[in-house]
Amino acid sequence: MSIDALAQPDERTETIEMPASSAWPIILAFGLTLVFAGLVTSSSVSLLGAILAASGCIGWFRDVLPREKHESVSAIEMTPPVSTSRPRVAVVEWMTEELHRARLPLEVYPIRAGVKGGMAGSVAMAVLAVMYGIISRRGMWYAINVLAAGFFPGRHPLAQIGAFQWDSLLIASVLHLLVSLSVGLLYGATLPMLPRHPIVLGGLVAPILWSGLVHSFIELIDPTLNQQIDWLWFVFSQIGFGIVAGIVVSRQQRVPTRQHLPFAIRAGFEVLGGIHEKDGGKSR
Amino acid sequence: MSTTSFPLAPTELEWKLPPRGRIAMFALIAAEAAIFTIFVVAYLFYIGKSLSGPMPSEVLSPPFLYTVCLLSSSLTIHFAARSLRVGNVRSFGAWWLSTISLGAIFLYGTASEWHRLIYKDGLTITTNLFGTTYYSLVGLHGFHVVVGLLAMTTVMVFTIVGAMKQEHAERIDVLSLYWHFVDGVWIVVFTIVYVIGR
Amino acid sequence: MSTESIAWPSASAESRSFVDTLHEWVTTVDHKRLGILYIIYALVFLLIGGIEAAIIRIQLIRPHNNFVSPQVFNRLFTMHGTTMIFFVVMPVLFGFANYLIPLMIGARDMAFPRLNAFSFWMTAFGGLLLYFSLVGANGLYGAGNAPDVGWFAYAPLTSRTFSVGHSTDFWTLALLVSGFGSIGTAINIVATILCMRCQGMTLAKMPLFAWLNLVMAGLVILAVSPLTAAQIMLLVDRYLGGHFFDTQAGGSAVFWMHFFWIFGHPEVYVLVLPAFAFASEIIPVFSRKPIFGYPVMVGATVAIGFISMSVWAHHMFTVGMGANVNTFFVISTMAIAVPTGIKIFNWLATIWGGKIEFKTPMLFCIAFLFQFLIAGLTGVMMSAAPFDWQLGSSYFVVAHFHYVIVGGILFTLFGAFYYWFPKMSGRMYSETLGKLHFWLFLIGFHLTFDFMHIPGLLGMPRRIYTYEPGRGWDTWNFIVTIGVFFQAAAIVVFLGNLIWSYFRGKAAGNDPWDAWTLEWSTNSPPPAYNFYTIPSVQSRRPLWDLKHPDDPDWKYE
Repeated sequence: MSIDALAQPDERTETIEMPASSAWPIILAFGLTLVFAGLVTSSSVSLLGAILAASGCIGWFRDVLPREKHESVSAIEMTPPVSTSRPRVAVVEWMTEELHRARLPLEVYPIRAGVKGGMAGSVAMAVLAVMYGIISRRGMWYAINVLAAGFFPGRHPLAQIGAFQWDSLLIASVLHLLVSLSVGLLYGATLPMLPRHPIVLGGLVAPILWSGLVHSFIELIDPTLNQQIDWLWFVFSQIGFGIVAGIVVSRQQRVPTRQHLPFAIRAGFEVLGGIHEKDGGKSR
Repeated sequence: MSTTSFPLAPTELEWKLPPRGRIAMFALIAAEAAIFTIFVVAYLFYIGKSLSGPMPSEVLSPPFLYTVCLLSSSLTIHFAARSLRVGNVRSFGAWWLSTISLGAIFLYGTASEWHRLIYKDGLTITTNLFGTTYYSLVGLHGFHVVVGLLAMTTVMVFTIVGAMKQEHAERIDVLSLYWHFVDGVWIVVFTIVYVIGR
Repeated sequence: MSTESIAWPSASAESRSFVDTLHEWVTTVDHKRLGILYIIYALVFLLIGGIEAAIIRIQLIRPHNNFVSPQVFNRLFTMHGTTMIFFVVMPVLFGFANYLIPLMIGARDMAFPRLNAFSFWMTAFGGLLLYFSLVGANGLYGAGNAPDVGWFAYAPLTSRTFSVGHSTDFWTLALLVSGFGSIGTAINIVATILCMRCQGMTLAKMPLFAWLNLVMAGLVILAVSPLTAAQIMLLVDRYLGGHFFDTQAGGSAVFWMHFFWIFGHPEVYVLVLPAFAFASEIIPVFSRKPIFGYPVMVGATVAIGFISMSVWAHHMFTVGMGANVNTFFVISTMAIAVPTGIKIFNWLATIWGGKIEFKTPMLFCIAFLFQFLIAGLTGVMMSAAPFDWQLGSSYFVVAHFHYVIVGGILFTLFGAFYYWFPKMSGRMYSETLGKLHFWLFLIGFHLTFDFMHIPGLLGMPRRIYTYEPGRGWDTWNFIVTIGVFFQAAAIVVFLGNLIWSYFRGKAAGNDPWDAWTLEWSTNSPPPAYNFYTIPSVQSRRPLWDLKHPDDPDWKYE
């Protein structure tokens, strides 16, 4: 039988050919199971299984050869046409016609907005951290050394924690810039998607959540380090970062996404008629 | 009737899908290949790990003649399938019979080798790791040869009684896929048992 | 050729004798009936496996408990694991695949209807063979009872020396038999999806459900076969005296671990991909938005398929495989979090900005998103080898994979039950009972599996029969067991809802959810031939095109 035999109903008789039901599959399955079950019970079970399996094979074979057996099923069921309770497609007013089917978000911040935000935030945070070191009289290099402490497990944690160490400064700066950069990029990506008050969410809520997360596991990872952290100031610096980065990012010019355009156009190829085909023309 | 529910797209009148028999056979071959892979890996891993003899180098000799028989049966089954496709049932029968004979000769080769190993060299499946892995791997392949021979013999019976028609060429193609796979597996088994493993 | 005409679904079903009905169901080759058989079969085993789990938890509710004997406890966790994986989740997923794939791709049946029936019966008899060990293994040989070697049956526990009698053989043979059934169904699914699609349904226009099941079937073919091979080796060892896993003769016990987990880890993805498939159908419909990032979803699915084949040994970090092997499997395991994360983000993006309807199926899918995320996070924790050395084989692991299987798979499965129940039965389920089920199960799930992490972190090993008081495990184990009762109550509500709605529910109509895939264009329940006219599609949402001719999808895809 070919697939074509299934494809069209017999219009005259209103019946449709379907594969005939058959007992041979279950007999073959039962026979094979018994063959295996014989291994754990007795060989006569296997023998019975083998006989059943053989008859199942032959019966199955006669089902499909020379032609597959079919039975006609009367097509009595009426299928009502497809309908919907929401027939009207609402057309959003605030979009131009060719963007009728928009891929949200419509506009995003460019990547450089995230980079700028991250860098600005990093400066704000660094200033706050150094201020803390000076105000708390632990020395202006204190926060930097604490940040880099994980890389120098051999160093005594408290001996020179306030003093200048060039390797600590280097590592702390790299760490600080990298993390600031990725958080800035994250802000750039997520701020347009936050429902409202992006500065509050990104500047206040996110840093507090983040600090809570760090606070909960730093005790497990490095209890000594935990003792060195003044969590109030930590949260202050995080909020400083968040607000500055948020403000800088949100002041950048948004750009429209080009999600609705075909890949070829986004990739910069000159494709003849590429837009025209996809948008179905302006006249629609 | 909602016969007009689905408008035919005029641009896509050409609608061709792969034949299901072939696809299913490829899927089955993938499953079988996975099973063989496990046995092959086990064989490779246990080479030289037997604690006692006989070792493969002492008792195995490559069965070149039988290997040639099995591999050439791939050719004959190919010619058989081609004959049926153009409707030449007589030539199909001849090629088919030679395929079965070549397969049977190979099976005889395996049987005589096992007979020699068991009764002359005293290697059984319980003797050592080599025996366990060797009989499992070659036996699994032999089992597939037997299944293939049974299927082909059935086809041969139908050919002799004259029930074989050109319209069955598609099914014969599917069966020949299986046989090609069994032959291909033998190349792997031969390589690791008689070349690498020795 | 038979020419008799049978009426379907017969209006006079009640008047026919029970034997006729039974004969019809036993000999059926119809994909919808087989799908329902799979599902009912799995529900029966879900009850059995659930009761086993409940007994395990009652045994552990307090220290020094003696609810069951240690021997029975070993059998219980072995049977619970084997039952739930092989005879509950696999069959129920195959059932949904069987029922829905032909309907979704506009076909009248599977590619091989008889093979389909054969595969189902193999799976069914495999399950019966496993449970026959309860009478068979003991009654005939007097040594051993139900299998008690754990669901992954590590060597040398399974050798003849340590597993006297036939209980392990029952386990092996049952999995072998049902494995043949699984491979048969997988081949059938692949052939159906590739060869039976209706006109216009190119691979890029298939519902995601079909895509995910295609990858799932491919994984079954490549993952269950190694298990079959390993079971054959175990049989050779146990019956013919082979030495594959016999360390006394130079064999390797670790080899069994490799072979089992080469099956075992892809199996997790075999189970979870259909769960993803349910979520990918339910979430868009109840968010009233097309799925976000269809091509990426397909790509991520295929990527998961490939990567899942190369992560198995993360189950074996504690075995001591050497630094290089560990590193490879740490990295590949972590890598699989990437495509999975992509999927989570795509579902979130589908919900985002949508007009969400909090019907029961959607509730289950939203819970799935949260829980699967947590399960994935503990998975990433476990993927780090040093962390695994600390927590391998502890209750933390048990909590992790139950979070995946219950919190991820079972939740979407319940969603799928509610979502497609109107299509399968023609009746609407009770939304009140559905919500009650959801909240009860959610509470029970979190009581049990959230708190199960903690005794694991505190060092409680898995599979222990009982424990000393005063180790800080007592309270947690108590809470965990209490959660089980909530879950049991939820299951009762669920089954009650199914049964009540089947007889008393109000008619559902063809398309109760205003959905977009082809199965909703035909009757509920569908006639034997599915579609009077074979449909032809132009986009991924053919019913959207029909419902909104002024704004069809195909202009945009």
